[in-house]
Amino acid sequence: MTATLARPKWDWTGIVFAVVLTLVIVFPLIVVGTRAFTNVWRYPSVIPQEFGLKFWNQTLARADVWSSITTSLTLAATVTFLSALICLPAAYAFARLDFPGRNLLFFSFLAGHAFPKFGLPVAIAGIFLQLNLIGTFWGVVLIQLVGTLLFMIWIPVAAFRAVDRRMEEAARDVGASPFRVFWSITLPRAGPTIAAAILLSFVGTFYETEGARLIGAPQVRTLPVLMISFINNQPVIQYGAVLSVLLWVPSFIALLSARRVVNSGSFARGFGG
Amino acid sequence: MTAVTSGPIVAAPATCKRPIGLLLVAIPVLMVIWLVIWPIISAVITTLWVKTPEGSAFSIETYRFFFSDGYSLSNLSMTLWTTGVCAILLLIVCLPIALYLRFSTSRVSAYVQGLAIFPMFVPSIILSFAFIRVLGPNGTVDLLLNAVNLPKIRTPYLTPRGPVIGPVWDNIPLTVLILLSGLGAVSNQSIEAARDVGAGRFAVLWHIILPRISNSILVAISFAVLGIFSAFTLPYVLGPAAPEMMGPFMQRTFHELFEPRTAITCAVVTFGFCIVFGLFYVRSVAKNRTT
Repeated sequence: MTATLARPKWDWTGIVFAVVLTLVIVFPLIVVGTRAFTNVWRYPSVIPQEFGLKFWNQTLARADVWSSITTSLTLAATVTFLSALICLPAAYAFARLDFPGRNLLFFSFLAGHAFPKFGLPVAIAGIFLQLNLIGTFWGVVLIQLVGTLLFMIWIPVAAFRAVDRRMEEAARDVGASPFRVFWSITLPRAGPTIAAAILLSFVGTFYETEGARLIGAPQVRTLPVLMISFINNQPVIQYGAVLSVLLWVPSFIALLSARRVVNSGSFARGFGG
Repeated sequence: MTAVTSGPIVAAPATCKRPIGLLLVAIPVLMVIWLVIWPIISAVITTLWVKTPEGSAFSIETYRFFFSDGYSLSNLSMTLWTTGVCAILLLIVCLPIALYLRFSTSRVSAYVQGLAIFPMFVPSIILSFAFIRVLGPNGTVDLLLNAVNLPKIRTPYLTPRGPVIGPVWDNIPLTVLILLSGLGAVSNQSIEAARDVGAGRFAVLWHIILPRISNSILVAISFAVLGIFSAFTLPYVLGPAAPEMMGPFMQRTFHELFEPRTAITCAVVTFGFCIVFGLFYVRSVAKNRTT
């Protein structure tokens, strides 16, 4: 508990945190990464007996891997597109227009987050059961779409609000059309944050496991759902390791591009911090 | 990306009259009503109104069964235990990290912050796999212990400790971010002032810092509880087969036993246990956004 304001020569507390967190957070992932590139790694050897890409070929030759990659990408793209289509106009309305019940409706998107994570999908599944949406692509789309609403509205609303209204008005004053104002003033300033929200929603949907498994099983099988069955029933460990590396790619892209948004205070405030 | 540009253009003039705003927000709001509010009302109704030959009748039979069934109760108590332990561990782990990040000015702190946020970018399914490969039977820890002639660890994989370690790891980033955002409201001056009158580190922590971030601590706990109480993936992959946590229990009754009614009853029970945290969470987020 270093609540110190002084600047010590050696930041020992920081070094201890850095070492412990590296061991606990980075080390397990390095183990998985290494496992994916080994042909032979038998107990009790500390380092793999043989490195190689044998299991990459074998994993990528599996039909179930390819079909679930396609399913996952199609699902995530569909959900993100629909989410952007319905949420971004709504976000603009919340940020710039005045209408009755605006605050209540704005906070209504929190409702989905006031309930335990898996309880709500089970309640939704009860409704989908009557509508014959269980085991269908569109059933999974709907349940994942609900999961993206909060981010896809709240983050863009913050982005639109951050654009200085006086700049928009100044542009209007010198004769720019509303479209021109939106295109040349509002969008370039709000754009990067909105792009980050879209990316986060794509990645979040890509990894969404609980709704996909509950609503989609057994017909719709996404990559994370396939990964669960690899962990539970697949004796060849390397398949899971290769799939982990493949699965991590979208997250890595998100990591590179969304860091700015995540590190900014507004992101944590969105969670109520 | 086309949707980004095409959507709001229609509404661009800020002088628009009222109905257009309502129209633009209509679809997402209706989705919330259809797929969040209605399922919950419907879950309560379907579990309380039983169809009998003479029509439907009010009955609490399914809840009476849940609370008298030994297996359901042991699942529930395991869930409560796991959630409680996770929430406490998260605070013990994350509060020092957040305090360090708030008050450190050294270069190491950027690295620590990066690491603390990193799990946000690791999907829980990869985490489960890594967990098994490191802490599981003949995992890396066993390998290293064996190499220095020490006995193997008692692996937490498939024991009640599995669903504790996994979710704690997974929830570190948001807990740290929420606490850090709360610590941002603690001014350096107030701490310096306390220091000037001779307060020690723990006195500063106890009397100056903790009272100011108590709301953030409660938000972090609520967020963790809502996420862990009925989590599915991590307990399903890492936890014991019986008793199981509510998440895997609901999934199994719904899919493998084809008893949606039982699953929905469990869901309503989890709503009941989490309602305080849910309401508190919503209230604090709403308060934060309006002020």
